[in-house]
Amino acid sequence: MVFLIALSASAQDIKEIIRKSDEKFRGTSSTGSFSMTIERPTWSRTISMKSWALGTEYSLIYVTAPAKEKGQVFLKRQNEMWNWVPSIERMVKIPPSMMMQSWMGSDFTNDDLVRESSIVKDYTHKLLGEETIDNYLCYKVELIPLENAPVVWGKVLMWVSKKDYLWLKAEFYDEDGILVNTEILSDVKKMDDRVIPCRMEMIPADKKGQKTIMIFENTDFDVPLKEDFFSIQNMKKIK
Amino acid sequence: MLTNIKLAWRNIWRNKRRTLITVASIFFGVLLSAYMTSMQEGSYSKMVEIVVKFYSGYMQVHHEDYWENKSINNSFDYDQALVDRLKSHSEVDFVIPRLESFGLASSGELTRGAAVFGIVPDIETQLTGIAEKIVSGKYLQANDDGVVIGDGLAKFLNLNLNDTLVILTQGYHGVSSAGKFPVHGIIKHVSPELNKSIIYMELKTCQSFLGAENKLTSLVVNVADNDAMKRTLKKLKSEIQSPFSVMSWEEMQPEVVQQIESDRAGGVIMKAILYIVIAFGIFGTIMMMIAERRREFGVMISIGMQKKKLAVILFIETLFIGLLGILSGMAVSLPLLLIQAKNPIPLTGETAKLMEDFGFEPYMFFSTAPEVFWQQAISVFVLTVLIGIYPIIASLRIKEIKALHGT
Repeated sequence: MVFLIALSASAQDIKEIIRKSDEKFRGTSSTGSFSMTIERPTWSRTISMKSWALGTEYSLIYVTAPAKEKGQVFLKRQNEMWNWVPSIERMVKIPPSMMMQSWMGSDFTNDDLVRESSIVKDYTHKLLGEETIDNYLCYKVELIPLENAPVVWGKVLMWVSKKDYLWLKAEFYDEDGILVNTEILSDVKKMDDRVIPCRMEMIPADKKGQKTIMIFENTDFDVPLKEDFFSIQNMKKIK
Repeated sequence: MLTNIKLAWRNIWRNKRRTLITVASIFFGVLLSAYMTSMQEGSYSKMVEIVVKFYSGYMQVHHEDYWENKSINNSFDYDQALVDRLKSHSEVDFVIPRLESFGLASSGELTRGAAVFGIVPDIETQLTGIAEKIVSGKYLQANDDGVVIGDGLAKFLNLNLNDTLVILTQGYHGVSSAGKFPVHGIIKHVSPELNKSIIYMELKTCQSFLGAENKLTSLVVNVADNDAMKRTLKKLKSEIQSPFSVMSWEEMQPEVVQQIESDRAGGVIMKAILYIVIAFGIFGTIMMMIAERRREFGVMISIGMQKKKLAVILFIETLFIGLLGILSGMAVSLPLLLIQAKNPIPLTGETAKLMEDFGFEPYMFFSTAPEVFWQQAISVFVLTVLIGIYPIIASLRIKEIKALHGT
């Protein structure tokens, strides 16, 4: 009887753990700068960007380097995405057909950026055990999407540290249970008011020697940003 | 022997009408099959010409991974030593550097997929002659910052001379490339497919647009013809080492080779049927001749003619008839096909549209390659020799009494 209570309590706790670790990244609003390194078997290149975000609904990304791409802006509003290309003075609305294409040549798709699903609300959670990653003792959690959830995965495995609830690793599986992507987060640092991993590696399973690394250089959380900041007009003005 | 030949020659002209009918059936057979072969071979060589002359050249050197994955990331640095080595082969006429990529071409609200070719203007036109295909504006100059585009693409995008073309694509190592280019020339490309999608850009402009400074995707190695290619290819294959690889147009466009081969196989069946018809035509007249001359043979053998000698004469007669048919067929088909080769037959209507969709000019082309003629000559000659066996057997089996009685 005691055992049963303990088990059901832990199911509740796990949802709570996932929620806490999710909130760490999202905050209500944030601004910051980050770099993205695309690694391929024979080459790699790095793009630097600034970002503004409000909740999960709105975000704006401004490319600062390399020179050839400087000035490009990506805007996300709900599940729509625009791209401002200054060299041709064109505003390109990313059509649904291009959502699954690579974003700026990286291993992320456009869809990864706009995706609306929530790891808290759209999945059922199950504790599989405990494992150690990078000296952090972690909960290993299995996430199965709810039937109506807007999710492309069949299953997600997440590793969340017991201390600070840091999301340190995730594996994404397709509906046939085959591994598609692995995300590894490391380099835990204090950023503004909280401690978070600052380096994220995204490794596609089927492409040998390929990965994309994001490094968050500095991020301020809970900054005053309003919805109207994320407008098409502002895309052309932002620096 | 000379007497035999003389006798045979006289014999065939003893019944002019019979001989002429046989000769005529061979004559038409040769003419028809030569005409058909010429048309087939003509369209094949046109296909090859379009592929080779207006696009790939006879051979290309790429980065070894390029053909599998035609990405600009599989390009290579321009290497003068490599170019010099290629040129050192006496068969190699010229070497053309290219940087090829794909992108979205756009103007106003209209967008279309396009092939972007970075070329060295004056060298490129040596192979493709695109400078002469300009319909308005002018061809690319050295250090040109504009583009020359296909006539079909210009029409689709509603572009005129000096309008601005926007190109959006992914450049070297995934860099996003977007640029505006003035249209300096409009070209009517021979290949309707390329006409709808081609954008020519000066090599340097293209390299900086795609963030691929000094990079090339291919070096076109051109030789005089297919035979020269086969010789050179062997040498180059052993000489060009990783990370480069050399490919012939046959390897680059296997579908063209396959198409030609399957079509040729269809042609073989048609020709086989034609030859069977001819063979039976000749066989029929020869049989008739033997039957008509049975009494004559009977008389000759009775007064001492050897059967063997008679058989030889009859065989020579058959050969004569065959040769006459073949020679007259050649004499007519050669000039006829020479004229046809100069004046290909234009196609109209649906067929023409279909051919344009496949990327060909809507014409029936003719070939005057020597094999078009000698292949027919040899086949018909072999047929005649085979049929010539019949009179031999027939004459050897003659029973004099029966022949004299006419039964």
